[in-house]
Amino acid sequence: MAKTILAVDDSGSLRQMVAFSLQAAGYNVVQAVDGQDGLNKAKEKTVDLVLTDQNMPIMDGLTLIKSLRGLGSYQKVPILMLTTESSDEMKARGKAAGANGWLVKPFDPKRLIEVVQKVIG
Amino acid sequence: MSRQNDSPVPELGRVLAALCENGSQHLSRVESDLVQTMFLLNEAIEKIGQHFTAIHQAVSEQQAELELLLAQTGLPAQLADSKQLEVLRDLREVIGDEVNSAVVGLQFHDLTSQLLSRTISRTNGLRDLHLTFKAHGEGISAGHEPGAMARQLDEMGESLKLCHIDLGSESCHSVRQQHLGCGEIELF
Repeated sequence: MAKTILAVDDSGSLRQMVAFSLQAAGYNVVQAVDGQDGLNKAKEKTVDLVLTDQNMPIMDGLTLIKSLRGLGSYQKVPILMLTTESSDEMKARGKAAGANGWLVKPFDPKRLIEVVQKVIG
Repeated sequence: MSRQNDSPVPELGRVLAALCENGSQHLSRVESDLVQTMFLLNEAIEKIGQHFTAIHQAVSEQQAELELLLAQTGLPAQLADSKQLEVLRDLREVIGDEVNSAVVGLQFHDLTSQLLSRTISRTNGLRDLHLTFKAHGEGISAGHEPGAMARQLDEMGESLKLCHIDLGSESCHSVRQQHLGCGEIELF
């Protein structure tokens, strides 16, 4: 059965490219438009991996990670940040919040798939 | 004419108010143009993205049909080792690489959108500052005692400080990409 990835980003074109790349590799992709939408969808569905942006309206990526880690069912689900932010300070904050990895935009589809495969198979 | 009427203070207030009003109008136009630019850019990239995925889908189906056809009909012996098969295999790789590059390229819309959004927000902030200063300028009159003028100047200083704090809070969100290549990956 195909694994499900939750892609959270306020940019429609970015979500479209993430979905396009991951679906081509055989994954199901659920899309969310901001952190709050991502949190709601994570509660509704069983998700194998979360891929989230940082700077979003309503709820940012770090807050989403902290909220997900607070839910029993998401304590061990891998969460990757996909963001324009590349500073060591932001990466450290992401790691402290519970992120498992940091990808700086723009992403290369082949490398994204390699990372996803490494993390969830 | 009294000494009070000769004071440059009211004129200074009027000039400040007029300058801020004019600046505010210019910034409104800049903001409106930026919003329209972002709207058109979003529409264009969304359409390009849709057409791109549709083209990719069609090419993938075409490849699959071709492979099915070759498998069903079998290859003529004279074609089995021909360069045409090699060309077909190479083309598949070329298509894959081009698709990858296009996906990376389309993501720069996200980066430019972030920059445009921030510029709109800063334009907005600058316009608010102009409007605040306009109100201060209109409030300046010849009858003001030095103490009242000092308070007015203090208030203007506070407005500037607030604007500075707003800019500081935004500076941590940055788009620093300088090249059209993909970003780094780090697993914790």
